[in-house]
Amino acid sequence: MRFLRAAVAEVIGLFVGDWAQTGVSVGILGIGWFVLSRIHVAGIAFLIAIALAAQIVYATTLEARERAGRS
Amino acid sequence: MYAQLLTFGAAFLGSAVESVEALTIVLAVGLTRGWRSPLYGTVVALVALAILVLVFGQLIVTRVPELTLKLIIGTLIVLFGLRWLHKAILRSAGVIAMHDENKSYEETLKELHGSVLRQDWVAFVIALKGVFLEGMEVVFIVVAVGGTSGSGGLPIAVAGGLLAMIVIAVTGVIVRKPLAQVPENTLKYAVGVVLASIGTFWAAEGMGATWPLDLASVLGLAAIYFGASRVAVMMIRRRKPVMA
Repeated sequence: MRFLRAAVAEVIGLFVGDWAQTGVSVGILGIGWFVLSRIHVAGIAFLIAIALAAQIVYATTLEARERAGRS
Repeated sequence: MYAQLLTFGAAFLGSAVESVEALTIVLAVGLTRGWRSPLYGTVVALVALAILVLVFGQLIVTRVPELTLKLIIGTLIVLFGLRWLHKAILRSAGVIAMHDENKSYEETLKELHGSVLRQDWVAFVIALKGVFLEGMEVVFIVVAVGGTSGSGGLPIAVAGGLLAMIVIAVTGVIVRKPLAQVPENTLKYAVGVVLASIGTFWAAEGMGATWPLDLASVLGLAAIYFGASRVAVMMIRRRKPVMA
């Protein structure tokens, strides 16, 4: 049973480190989907990557600040 | 041709990283408690992982429509890649410690010394658990990258994953100690950038987007993610002194 629980946690852990951050990433993809279904311009999908990249810069700097505050 | 190389490369690199971690556990058990039980555990775990690849791979390739597949798997690959990239950024900036195979090896040894009774059973379970859990990431990478690469993508991804496992296993047998010299964190950083880029490419295609220059756009996406990661590392380092 412990092994199964560890396996399930491992599967979820593949995609989710922090639920809020994952929610933001999924939200960005959802907004991207909405925009792409209405605006058909080649290359506009790069905006999704830029938003996700900005999100990871924000999340990592925030985590670094929090860890520094705790220590 | 480029798509096949990308599929093979992503599966190979991702599998190599996880194989190093699994090998460390098997070596720790084998060198201290004998090889029979950990090898049985490893074989059982590998068979279970192979079944997962076959079942999910076939299911995905044959049952799910291409655009839906690209959207769902692309999204999962983005989340997976961003998670690896997130950790790689924090490690590069010195916020969290680098993954140390020697430390993992020592921890596994400690776990073994705590259990004197039923040695073979313990060795079997630790090897099985280590290989199976580390292998789950390999299964995901192989199925996701292979399944979304069109016809013939899955065998290429499986070949990349298998070759990585064989190379790491043979190296482990030759040196008979944890592969601490493998630049595991750098590999994870690279795979994080590659997977986030491929995932974004496929997810957007699944949403109905068209990319200028088709697959070559992955290079542009990789540049965006790599650039952002360097900016993050720089910002973190500027704020605090480096720990490790």
